[in-house]
This record gives sequence, C-alpha cells and structure tokens, in this order.
Amino acid sequence: MVDFVALLSTFLPEVVIAAAALLVFLLDVLGVRRTEVTAGVSAAASLLALLFVVADLGIAPFSAVATLPSGLLDSSPASASTSLYAFTSLGLVFQMIFLSATFLVSLASASRPSAEPGAPTFFGLLLLASVGMLFVAVAADLIFLLLAIEITSVSTYLLVAYRRRDRRTIEAAMKFYIIGALSTVLSFFGASLLFGAFGTTNLYAIALAPATPSAALVLVGYAFLLAGLAFKVTVVPFHAWAVDVYDGAPDDVSAFLAGGTKKIGLFAFFLVFLGPVLLARWATSFSPFGLGPFNAHPVFQLVLGALAVLTMTFGNLLALWQKEIKRMLAYSSISQAGYMLIGIAIGTSPAIAGATLQIFAHVLMKTGAFLVVGAVAALGIGPLVDDWRGLGQERPYLGVAFALMLLGLAGIPLTVGFVSKFVLFSAAIQAEGYFVWLAVAGVLNSAASVFYYARVLKAMFFERSDRPAAPSNAGRLGANGLGYGRAAAIAIIAVVVVLLGIYPGPLLSVMQSAAQHFVLLGP
Amino acid sequence: MSGLTIPEFLALASALLALSIFGVLTRRNFILLLIAIEIGMNAAILNFIYFAAFPLCAGHSALSGQAIAVVTIGFAATEVAVGLAIVLALNRLKGTTNVAESTELKL
Repeated sequence: MVDFVALLSTFLPEVVIAAAALLVFLLDVLGVRRTEVTAGVSAAASLLALLFVVADLGIAPFSAVATLPSGLLDSSPASASTSLYAFTSLGLVFQMIFLSATFLVSLASASRPSAEPGAPTFFGLLLLASVGMLFVAVAADLIFLLLAIEITSVSTYLLVAYRRRDRRTIEAAMKFYIIGALSTVLSFFGASLLFGAFGTTNLYAIALAPATPSAALVLVGYAFLLAGLAFKVTVVPFHAWAVDVYDGAPDDVSAFLAGGTKKIGLFAFFLVFLGPVLLARWATSFSPFGLGPFNAHPVFQLVLGALAVLTMTFGNLLALWQKEIKRMLAYSSISQAGYMLIGIAIGTSPAIAGATLQIFAHVLMKTGAFLVVGAVAALGIGPLVDDWRGLGQERPYLGVAFALMLLGLAGIPLTVGFVSKFVLFSAAIQAEGYFVWLAVAGVLNSAASVFYYARVLKAMFFERSDRPAAPSNAGRLGANGLGYGRAAAIAIIAVVVVLLGIYPGPLLSVMQSAAQHFVLLGP
Repeated sequence: MSGLTIPEFLALASALLALSIFGVLTRRNFILLLIAIEIGMNAAILNFIYFAAFPLCAGHSALSGQAIAVVTIGFAATEVAVGLAIVLALNRLKGTTNVAESTELKL
C-alpha cells in the first residue's frame, strides 16, 4: 500500500502549485475576480514552492525546511530504473528555473486590468502549466516525461487563447495547437518504437540495457523523439511556428512561453539524449539496417551539434531583418536555443553546467524583454522598432532595463548572459575535437546578434521621437503607467541580470555540482 | 498464436502515421486536422499494444504497454477537447473553420 502522505510530502512543490491552481479557479467561481488577489495567490504559491525546491537542494540557510526524504536525491540509476520519477539535483535546479519564470510572470501580470474577461483563468492555467513543468524535471520514465510535457502544452494552448475575442490570439493559438499536437504525435510514436526495442519506457533502464534486439527500431525511435521534442525547443528546421505564436499571443503569455515552457523541452533533451548518448552500453556496437557495428555516440553528438549551429545561425540571420520588436525577440529566442543545444551535444559536466546557466540567463532576460514589450504596448506605443524611437530618453528606467536585457542576450560582460556564454564556450573548447568549432560558431553568432540588438538600442537612446507626447495614463495604473507588479518584475530581473553578471559564483557552483551528479548518475 | 509479423505490423503503424502527417500538411479544415492528429496518436497507441502483446525482449517496464495505451487514449481525448474549444472560438470570431483564412499574423 502506498503511503500517500509520504508521497505527497516528497512532491510538496508540485502539490503547492496544483492546490494554488485549484484555489484560483475556485475563487473565480466564487466571484472573487480582482486580479491583485489571484495574482497574489499565484505569486505566493510559486515563491513557496521555490523555497521548498531550494531547501531540497540543501542550500543553507533554507535546508532546514527540506521535505525530500534523505537518500532520494541523486539515487543510483538502478533504483531509478524501476520508478516513474527520480529526483536529481539538476532536475531541482530546473524546477528552480521554472518556478522563477512562473513567479516573475505572475508578478508582472498583477498589472492586468481586473475587468478583462478571463483574467483569473489566466493565473489558473499559468499554475497548471507550471505543475507540468515541475513534473518534467523529476521524470525518469519516457511516458511520464511526455505526459508532463503535455500537461504544460495543453495549458499553454489555452493560455495563448484565453482572450477569446481577439483574432490575433486565436490565430496564434490555432497555429500553436496544430504544431504542438503534431509534435506530440511524433514524440509518442518515437516512444512506442523505443518501447518495442527495449521492452521498457524507463530512461534509466534504457540507458542500462546491455543490448537491443533491433537497432533499427532504436534509431528510428530516437529520430521521431528528436523531431517531436525539437518542435517544443524551436530547433531549426522545426521553428517556424514560434515567431507567429510569440507575436500573436498576449505579451505576458509570450514571456512565459519563450522564458518558461520552452525550457521543458530542453530538459527533456537532457534526459532523453544525454543518457543514451553518453552512457548506454548498447550504443557502442550499433548496427542498424545491416550497416555493421559502429559506435553511435559520436553520431548522436554530431547530429545535435549540427542542429545547434543551424539553429543559432538561422535564428540570428532572420532576426536581422525584423522590424517588429516582438518578432525580433522571437527569432533571437530561436537562436538562443542553439547555444543551449551546444551544451547537450558536448555532454560533459562543465558543458551541462554552462547550458543550465545559459537557460537560466535566458529565462531572466527573455521574460524581462517580453515584459518590457508588454509595458510599452500598455503605454500605447506601437510594436515597430521605429515606434520605439526616443523611448530611452522619455522613460529612462524602462529604457535602461530593456538595454540590460538586450546586452545580456548579446553576451556583453557584466551581465549574466556573458558569464553563461563564457562557461559554455570554454567547456566546448575543453572538450576539444570539432566541439571547438561549436564554440567558434557560438562566438561568431553572438557577435552577429549585437547588430540587431544595437539597432534597437540606437533607436531608443540616440534617435529623436516623432510621435506626439506620450498619452498620460498614469491615473490608470501605478508606477507611472506601467503597473506596480510589472514594474517590480522588470526591476527584479534587471537587478538579478547584473548581480549574477558580477557575482555568479554561488549559483554557478550549485549548477556545476548538479551537473556532475547528473553525468555520474546517467540518464 | 498467429498474428502480424513485426515488419507487417510496423508497416501498418507507419502507414497510419504517414496518413496523419499527410492530413496535417494538406487539410485546411480544422476539424479534419483534428481527425488527422487523432489517427497519428492511434498509430502510437497501436504500437504500444502490439509490443506489449508480442515483446521483442523480456520487458521490465514500470508501466506495461496496455496501461500506457489507456493513459494515452485519455490524454488524446483531453487534447482534442482543447482543440475543439479553439475551433469554437475561431468559428465564433470568423464564421469559418478554415485555417487558411487566418492570415492576421504575417509570416
């Protein structure tokens, strides 16, 4: 008999978030529709869950409230190979990343008007999507992983569509849904082939399997899984949906999609492709379609590396041509996914730590950038780069915050974006071989990306505005028309981006030790 | 026990998947797109059932194939429900379920 209380206490962060989601829906039914209340519940729950996750990681001074029974964290692959879930340090670090995205978006969305229809639904769906994200981070079984991803996906389809009377959001939701559902089909089909080849869907059991009766099934299965997950991570050539969806979705939702839910696909990449690629014994004498035995590891790595280079180059080239800020940010988000894939292709522990830091940095900067876009739209300023002329002079705080996000995305020193790229690219150089070329491609792409970020900054700070004086709506929302919640979220992100850029030590060491555990542990 | 051999069975599942992908790529009616996606999900579900009944190697799965199939069917129903909700909203706004007529977002 399963001890449900003990089980629930190990999943305390997930339980807190799920309970908050139900509470928000209940409040909606009871007629409590003030956005401050629902946003407060959402932000408080994500902070509480964040506290539990940090405590479980054993970081002083929070470790006193740890709820994870000792011995469960980073247990051996053998014990994880019979379970649906496994708690790894790296998984908890990712839960931390996911929850900070939820917290920031909840805080910023407190500024949305209460009269807007569906506002409580927004927070309920945001929390449900977060539950799925938290489950992704503890998955040990392929089906558990895919279903957790789908909890998030289904919630985010609705999150994009929750403004039902807006043609643009419904069209974005439609495109998002079709592509998302197709990618689900591909992932599940791949998983079913792997189930056929190994007789199990447990990722650790797959990694430990000594041999497989059918190498062809394995190869095709992984190819389908790669395609399915690549849609979620917006890897080129599976990226086309992202720009329309990020453009059409409400700004806060775009922030959550680009900054939050996209990262679950990356963690799924860690789980699915690092284990079999690096540890699996069956992969060393791989013989699909009668090609004769060869070592599959370098082939997997080459494919991931090629996708990484393709993704970052393509995303950057298209971003250069964009006139709309939101579409430019969407393409830049695609190219950033390429940098993170570098870490997965290399797969050493410094590379995993670098990719994790890059993911965290990207969550902060991209969420922040989309929130600034939302704030500027709320001020009644248009979406084009030309519309933003002179914004930095009119609203220096907003301008400086946006400049920090963009400089961080470009990887300029003194921001967290520089530290993460430095760690990642130096790991690539340490790994030697053709991985050095991945670092070279990454550095060249970072340099190219400076062009389009600088163009926006130039428009904001050095060009004169030709629009009439900005309409004053300071009476409608606090913090000079931005809303207190949104202003606070943007300020927090801007401070953290600089703080981690100057003093990344503690966070980086947590990520490095988590990455070491992950590499030793498998998958 | 006579049944389909593995290559025959995989050909069936692959044909269903190919049909599904072809449908998603060519159909312009949202309802037909939903049906195409369902066919693809069923290809995966069939695979799980087949490989559970005729295993290639001694399995040690925490979830057996049939259980996975049941869970996946439930999940597919959820996904279609959400899809239908989006169709309804689309139909109410534009009076059509044709995807090709949605061109507010430029490519």
